[in-house]
Formats: sequence, structure tokens, C-alpha cells
Amino acid sequence: MGETRALQPQAGPEGLDLQALYRDSNVAAALEALDRELVGLAPVKTRVREIAALLLVEKLRRSVGLEAGPPSLHMSFTGNPGTGKTTVALRMAEILHALGYSRKGHLVAVTRDDLVGQYIGHTAPKTKEVLKRAMGGVLFIDEAYYLYRPENERDYGQEAIEILLQVMENQREDLVVILAGYRDRMGRFFASNPGMASRIAHHIDFPDYSESELYAIAELMLAGMQYRLSAGAQAALREYIGLRRAQPHFANARSIRNALDRARLRQAKRLFERRGAPLTREALMTIEAEDVRASRVFAARTEENQP
Amino acid sequence: MGKLEQAGGRPEARERYRAGVMKYAQMGYWDAGYVPKDTDLIALFRITPQEGVDPEEAAAAVAGESSTATWTVVWTDRLTACERYRAKAYRVDPVPGAAGQYFAYIAYDLALFEPGSIANLTASIIGNVFGFKPLKALRLEDMRLPVAYVKTFDGPPTGIVVERERLDKFGRPLLGATVKPKLGLSGKNYGRVVYEALKGGLDFTKDDENINSQPFMHWRDRFLYCMEAVNRAQAATGEVKGTYLNVTAGTMEDMYERAELAKELGSCVVMIDLVIGYTAIQSMSKWARRNDMILHLHRAGHSTYTRQKTHGVSFRVISKWMRLAGVDHIHAGTVVGKLEGDPNSVQGFYNVLREDHNAVDLQRGLFFEQDWGGLRKVMPVASGGIHAGQMHQLLHYLGEDVVLQFGGGTIGHPMGIAAGATANRVALEAMVLARNEGRDIWNEGPRILEQAARHCTPLKQALDTWKDVTFDYASTDTPDFVPTATAA
Amino acid sequence: MRITQGTFSFLPDLTDAQIRAQIEYCLGRGWAVSVEYTDDPHPRNAYWEMYGMPMFDLKDAAGVMAEVDACRKTFPDHYVKVNAFDATLGWESLRLSFIVNRPKKEPGFGLLREEGAGRTQRYSVRAYATERPEGERYT
Repeated sequence: MGETRALQPQAGPEGLDLQALYRDSNVAAALEALDRELVGLAPVKTRVREIAALLLVEKLRRSVGLEAGPPSLHMSFTGNPGTGKTTVALRMAEILHALGYSRKGHLVAVTRDDLVGQYIGHTAPKTKEVLKRAMGGVLFIDEAYYLYRPENERDYGQEAIEILLQVMENQREDLVVILAGYRDRMGRFFASNPGMASRIAHHIDFPDYSESELYAIAELMLAGMQYRLSAGAQAALREYIGLRRAQPHFANARSIRNALDRARLRQAKRLFERRGAPLTREALMTIEAEDVRASRVFAARTEENQP
Repeated sequence: MGKLEQAGGRPEARERYRAGVMKYAQMGYWDAGYVPKDTDLIALFRITPQEGVDPEEAAAAVAGESSTATWTVVWTDRLTACERYRAKAYRVDPVPGAAGQYFAYIAYDLALFEPGSIANLTASIIGNVFGFKPLKALRLEDMRLPVAYVKTFDGPPTGIVVERERLDKFGRPLLGATVKPKLGLSGKNYGRVVYEALKGGLDFTKDDENINSQPFMHWRDRFLYCMEAVNRAQAATGEVKGTYLNVTAGTMEDMYERAELAKELGSCVVMIDLVIGYTAIQSMSKWARRNDMILHLHRAGHSTYTRQKTHGVSFRVISKWMRLAGVDHIHAGTVVGKLEGDPNSVQGFYNVLREDHNAVDLQRGLFFEQDWGGLRKVMPVASGGIHAGQMHQLLHYLGEDVVLQFGGGTIGHPMGIAAGATANRVALEAMVLARNEGRDIWNEGPRILEQAARHCTPLKQALDTWKDVTFDYASTDTPDFVPTATAA
Repeated sequence: MRITQGTFSFLPDLTDAQIRAQIEYCLGRGWAVSVEYTDDPHPRNAYWEMYGMPMFDLKDAAGVMAEVDACRKTFPDHYVKVNAFDATLGWESLRLSFIVNRPKKEPGFGLLREEGAGRTQRYSVRAYATERPEGERYT
């Protein structure tokens, strides 16, 4: 209530001013933050812009009495781990808040364990508790398909789904739900839960990052942590990305972050072992090729045929 | 003053204790380099020295006279660890904008005081020194009580939080009224006022400070009729109600007897006057704690020593002493009513009573940080010349943890006492509702009251009756650290 | 008769928008809000039934309003109140408490007297409604 920005579309001399509405809302800032924070993901950014445009126009339409009913805003974000789904959800919450479609603009991120109980009568209060915390903002359910376990007849997930559906339908102005997970599993989840599928208005697919995008992400992360790569390390990291990407359990940006964390560890170990020698600020910042190449990913290549 | 002049420095012991008279500063009561310990009690005095007496010596004299010194040197000092027992004046600042006045900071060792005794504390700090000739005037402005000392007191028997839980009243100031006329009503007629006011919407009614047991109404009669009224009002509203039964009497035995009857009749609160003395107040506090009773204190007589800026004891110090002594309610000013009260000074008193921890706040007259060591909070009472039309100002200045007492503003309502009470309660609830909704009550106040009066005729009548009543006089007791003192 | 417990009982019954605004005020201060109901409104009845647990960490009043609605629907002829609890050191108690539902007819309370020694009396307040068993009152 009190916190929602009173955003009144302005009517200029030539009529309604979409540019002014865009300028005066915080949408631009949220979109810019999205561009800045996330490398690549062009199709995702395009979809977010489309949704923002739809909501802006809808707001303007309503201001002149053109009613299309409250827009359905529930979304599904599909893609592999580490492709930026949570980050985009955070920005999406900001955009919805800026345009007055979400009163508080906060994001509550949960998984099955937060919603589904262990025994009979446990699930409804748990789910409702989460829903109440998310009211006025965005509820982000990661790996949403785990809610549905048809193989177990007595699974309580179905109860959570039913409560969710009810709120998604009846309290659209109070809550936006984003379901997230692997593309194929989400597909199967929607296929077996048509009620859920029909309430999702926007599907955004998050593609895997290309090798050059992953490398750009690594550079962004390193700059944020005040490290740099030596020339040798640059080549090593590019090679690393190519190898790691082909291996199982690859999680895009998340795998890159893990790799960098391990490289930092090796750098520290290397410096510590030579602790008698003089040390420069430059050396403290620099990751060398050996810090990257000591990774098991390279070792795996030499034992390629091992299981 | 001193006949024995020494050129700077502290004399050796033999010199120091030679019979005769010497300057207090030289006796060790002035120490510019002294750093107060956490366990020291610090008093801040406003001193106005006589012509020709320098401020450091005057401060040292106050330190001396309020601790170990006497007018002459005594050899028996040397049988004690006197260095420890001497109060130490360590800082003197000129009062801004008041020539000839100084703030003197004096530190007292914890060992000087008996635990848990306001009588002992006050006998030390203000016992002797206020008549001291080398000073034209002396005022105790503030006091820092070390938490070690605070913990030797039990503090308020009930406190704001538990009082609210017992009354089941939250989120708004409480409402009260003093039964009027002050004198002459019979017990039966007196109870009528209590019943009407409580049924109409007040939470409390109150005996006046001088209602004890006079020929027109003996105390037992008053208690019996008042409790009939309280119980009838509880049944009529479903709310917990109270009336401050004043148990002030000539002896402790009489006070205990009266308090016991109040308890037997089921009263949730009893009342005492400040004039019964600090020890009697502490005794009644113990009694109240033993008997689940809210203890209301009327500050009768305080203005004789709190009002004038140059001489006496500031009410903020009285507030601190009463929080230690352990009362649950204390009259602490209204800002807007008929009695003395600069807004900043009054807010300073309220903060002393209500906060867990006071920060230094010179603008509100708080010179020291004060940790209350978990002592419960005292509910301030605002009483004297206030009415429903000021509700937005009262809420703005005083906040919600306060008892607002509308005596004339209830009983003087043209449609009767119950109507007066209803007007006050509706005005109060409407104002709290609006404030919580985020409205600017300071500016929109009158409009909020007008809107509330649309569904409440008694409020409309009250607003019409008292719309032009204000008491707009300059205050005498204002803080020294504001560019211009605000008129209340 | 109208029971005047709670912070806003002297005002006309609050609308949902007004209730929501008060809840927003409480949540904005980080207070936990809860819903309670009873059919025994004695002034000393400290323990109304809890309609669920106090709600912690809520950002928006919508969640509380859903509970208020559900409680009013389940107990249309009971007293229902909204409480706000402040866990701040030195408070650790309610900071606001107001009635959001009341029975259509409120018969009120009787005052029982028992004469004691001298002119003293012992008083007892009793809700007429509680002459009937729990759950069958105010119908």
C-alpha cells in the first residue's frame, strides 16, 4: 500500500507520454542492471524487455480506461543450472515493483523442502507460511517439478501444488510466481499439471553460455574480486572452459565461479610455499597458468577413456 | 574564603592537614586531570558563585560539601582512605548565554553511597550544599548513575510493558481524568464522577493530590464508592479500568492500611504524593511489588525546587530518582497544557522515564549517557489544562506510552462526564489510527478530529467548546543548548 | 452494548482497507502479527484462541488479511482480534491489538456482588454469553 510508488502516467500536449512513464519508473535502472550484470543471454534480455513493454503499455492503457483485466504475470524460467535464472528473477521483481504490479518487490526463493511437509497435515501450513512471506512480492520456486512425484501415491507435493494454484488464480495482485528448472523436466511437469501450465503467462528460456561468454563471465568475476590472469593463465582458462563444458554436471556460470575459487586457492598455496621470496602487489593479484592447469579437468583429458 | 594561600600545586600531607582553613581546590576537591571511572556517580551542577569566587573553587566547594569536607581541616581525615571518598570536581564550563553561571561536573566514588537508598543519595548530593554561602545559587541539573548503582534498586514494580499487559491496552496513550472539584464531594457523589468517566471511555480516574481523608469524605468511603464505580464500568465496557486511590496519609501505618483496603477491594492501582518523602515512596514501591499493584506518583510540591533555572533540582533528576525508587506512573508535563513545560525539557524527562538507555541529548537537557540496567520503564502522565482538540499535538510531542489526563477536559463537557470521556477516547483512537496510516497528524490534526467528530457528537461538542483554549506562555525551565527556547 | 477492548473500538468498525493499513504499519516496524478469536470476552481473559501462529518475516499485509478473512469466515459470531508483537529488547510484548470482528449481538456483562465485612463487597464480572457452553454462545 504505502510503499507502492504512485506512478501516474502523464498526458502531454500530444497525448499520453510513454517515454515519461518509462523515465519516471525505475524500469530503466533495472534493465540496465540486467545488462551490466549478465553476460550474453540476449534472448532472455529480449523477453524481459518485451514483458516490461507490455506492462508499461498496459499501465498507460488503464490510465485512459482501456481494460484488459489484470495481466497474468506468473512465469517459468527454464534452463540449465548457472544460466542466471535467479538473478533475472530478482531484476524481474524490481521491474514489477517499479511498475506497481508488485507492492513490495521482494523475492522469496524456495525449493520443494520449504513447501512440502513430512507428515499428514504438515504441508498446508508450510506452503501457506511461504506464500504469506512472499505476498506483495515474487515467489521463486527452483526445480519446481520436484513438487510433483507421481511415482509416490501418498506424496504431499500435490497438496502444495493445489494451494499454489488457488493463490495464483485468486490473488494475482498479491503475488507473482516464477517456476524454474531444467527445460525438459519442466516440460514434463507442465504436461502432467495442465492447471499449472495454463496459469503461466510467460516462458523464458535460458540458453547455455557459449565458450566466449563463459570466458567473459570469468573476467567479470575476477575483476570484481580484484584478480587478473597472466597471459598463460588466459590461454589455460579458455582451454579449461572448453574441456569443462563437455563434462557432466556442468553448471555454466556457477562452474566458472567454482573453478576460479579453486584457482585462487592454488595461487595462495603457491605464494605461501615461496614465502621467503619478495612479493609484489602484482603477484598477489595474478593468477598464473599453473594455478589453472592443476585442475582435475585437465587430468581427465589424459585419462580420457576412464569411466 | 581561604585564609591559607598556597602558590599552586598540592601541598605535602603535613602541610595539607595543618590545622586551619584552606581552599577546597587545594584540599583535593578540584582535579582537572581526573577521568571519571565507570563506577563513579557524576553530578552536574549549575553554579552561580558570589562575586570574586572563581568557578573552579566554587565547584570544588560543592564537591567538598557534598562529600567529605567541612569548613576546616580535620586531622581525622588521615585515619581514612580519604582520597577515595573525596568527590572530585573535574570540569567547569560557562553556561552558554548566561553570564556568571557555570556547569560543574563532579564525580563521586561508588563507595560513598548506601545501596538502594534514595534518602542516602540525596542526603549526600543535595543534603547540605544548597545553602552554602559562597554560592548565590546552585542547581542540580543532571546525574549519571553508574549501572552498578542502578542495579541496587528494584525500580518500578510494574513498568510500562507489564502495565499494558495487565490492562490489555496497547498501541495508544492511556486516558485518565482527575475527579473535580478537588475538594468537597461526598464519597457517593465522588464515585459518580468515576463511574461516568470510566464508562464513557477513560481507562483511569484519579484522586487529586490533596484528597486524603478529610471531613467531607473519609478515605474508606471514597475507596468503597470508587471501587463500586470501577467494577460497574468494567461490566459496562468489558475493559479493565482503574482509579488511582490516593493512599497518602500522615504515617506509614496509615498508608499501608489504606493500600491494603484498596487491594482487598480489587483495585489495580494505588497512588501516593511526592511529599510523602523518598523513603516512604520506596516503602510503597516494595508494597506495590508484593501486591501486583500499579503505583501512581503525583509530583506534588516539586515546582518549589524544579522550576527556577538557577536554583534547586531539575525535574530530570527527580525523574531519575523516581525510576530508581520504583514508581509506575509519574506526572512529567504536558508541553501544551496549563503547567510549566518546555517541549524539549519535557521530552528529556519522558526519555529518562521511558528509554532503556539514554544517549547524551543536550537539546533535551540530557548531559550524560545513562544505562538503566534493565530497570523497568515508568509511564509518564500528562495532566493539567489539556483537551481533545490538542490530541494531535499531544501524540506528536509525547508519543504513545503516556497517560493523558483530561480533568476539566472530561468533566467540563457540556453534555456530561461520560460524553466528555467519549470525546477524548474517540479523538485519541482516530489520531492513532491516522498516524499509523502514515498521515501527517501535526498538520492534518484538526481535520482528522473534525472527520472523527462526524460520527461522534460528543467530540464535536468538545471541539466547539474548547477550540480556542491554549496556554501560550514562555517556559522558565528551558534547556541551555537550543538557539531559541520554544514557547509551550 | 459494545465491548470496547482493543485499540480502535470507539471508532466505527474498521473497513478491510483500514485493517490492512494498520497491519502494514506493524509489518513496517518488524512486528509479528497474529490473529486470535474467542467467545469469552471477559476483560481478564488473557488467552484468546490463536488462529495459527504469529506470522514472522512478512513483507506485505495480504498474507495476514487472508488469515483474518479465514478466521472471520470460520468464526463469524466470535470476537476476532489482530495482535502485533514486538520482539525488541525491553518490549517483548504486544504493541498493537485491535478487534476486527464481533458478534452481531453483544449482550455484555453482569456484575455479581458478594457482601463482605463492614461495607466491603467482592465483585465479579460475568459475560451473559458464557452462561452457555463454549461454541454455542452468540448464536
